[in-house]
Amino acid sequence: MVLRKTIIPFLAAGLMLTGLVAGTGFADEDHRERGERHSRYMPKVAENATYKQECSSCHFLYLPGLLPARSWEAVMNNSDKHFGENLGLDENTKKEITSFLKNNSAERTDTEWSNKIMRSVGSATPERITEVPWIKKEHRRIKPEVFQRPSIGSFSNCGACHTQGAQGNFEEDAVSIPKK
Amino acid sequence: MRRKISYLLALAVSITAIGTGSADAATKLNPQMQALVDSYQKEAGVKAFSADEGKKLFMSKRMHSVKKEERSCTTCHTTNPAQTGKTVVGKPIDPISPAVTKDRFTDPKKVEKWFKRNCEWVLERECTPKEKGDYITFMTSL
Ligand code: HEC
Ligand code: HEC
Ligand code: HEC
Repeated sequence: MVLRKTIIPFLAAGLMLTGLVAGTGFADEDHRERGERHSRYMPKVAENATYKQECSSCHFLYLPGLLPARSWEAVMNNSDKHFGENLGLDENTKKEITSFLKNNSAERTDTEWSNKIMRSVGSATPERITEVPWIKKEHRRIKPEVFQRPSIGSFSNCGACHTQGAQGNFEEDAVSIPKK
Repeated sequence: MRRKISYLLALAVSITAIGTGSADAATKLNPQMQALVDSYQKEAGVKAFSADEGKKLFMSKRMHSVKKEERSCTTCHTTNPAQTGKTVVGKPIDPISPAVTKDRFTDPKKVEKWFKRNCEWVLERECTPKEKGDYITFMTSL
């Protein structure tokens, strides 16, 4: 019952959004862009061994280009209260990861999605990629219960659907939503 | 309801699995890890660690005071140490049993780091040297 109550506004909002988008022809434009513009692949994904070691055991190794530098700074400053986890990083490790993330952040990554993220974020400092308005918009058609499927678990688990996400490829033809 | 039943089933199956694990499959610790366990033993002031106590720690559930949800080592590692687990974000975790995942309990720094994180997550405190020794003894007995 409670669930139904919370889903209805979601559905309504979803329908309205879909309507709006279809109405203004955004969807078509998006598809045209896809063919004409240069590849949205990240030519070379920035890598750092310490970042990989410390930040990939619990979740997808988020590409530094998915958030602005100030967001990464905030995430790292709060690493002792990291979404309910105390990461317990020593100062040197923290410094190395912070500078790696800041040096390769969205403002320093020239891909279409990084640029869209920067425009979408405005002056905000989100600590989640899943809170970036453009990212939310791109996933608005995915129902909350889909994210809860056992092999997905959460919206934050990018790699479950974006099979080449780790390589910086979020294109439509590299998306596969697990059925279970 | 359905969830509860499948949970109970999983529990039953894994208890059987643990019960039938033969002692001769035991994993021998490398010197660095043996030194860590020895230091736990000194701190705890016990003659020997207990695999049974370690298993109890692994299987026990506890209500989190803030999150108001039951948490356990098995939340992520599943009730069967030989099985692939899953983090809260959904990423798979290689089985925690060193008989299955060969590099488990080989790096003292890594072991200490995860004890700290996971004990805080489940128990809202760090684990004691006794608990850590028992846990490793249980895992290496599988
Ligand atoms: C001990 C487990 C753990 C480790 C290690 C860890 N994280 Fe996380 N992280 C989490 C959890 C839990 C969440 C919240 C996910 C959710 O809400 O579903 C999260 C979420 C995030 C998010 C937001 C994801 C989103 O929803 O957009 C970012 C960014 C992030 N982590 C960065 C890092 C960085 C950088 C490191 C390394 C310094 C790191 N994480 C290491 C557990 C971890
Ligand atoms: C449940 C599966 C699923 C998860 C989890 C998921 N996505 Fe997506 N994502 C999709 C789908 C489906 C699309 C739409 C594909 C399309 O039509 O282009 C999409 C679109 C995108 C796009 C837009 C691609 C483009 O250029 O048009 C980006 C960027 C993206 N996702 C990033 C992420 C990130 C980062 C995460 C994790 C924080 C994530 N996704 C988690 C399924 C998922
Ligand atoms: C919230 C999820 C979660 C819970 C709950 C959890 N763990 Fe873990 N544990 C992990 C992850 C993730 C790893 C790292 C796995 C990897 O590196 O492959 C890990 C690794 C470990 C390791 C390191 C093993 C090694 O040498 O590779 C130990 C020890 C450990 N956990 C003990 C525990 C104990 C004891 C509990 C219960 C008090 C527990 N864990 C509960 C997620 C969890």
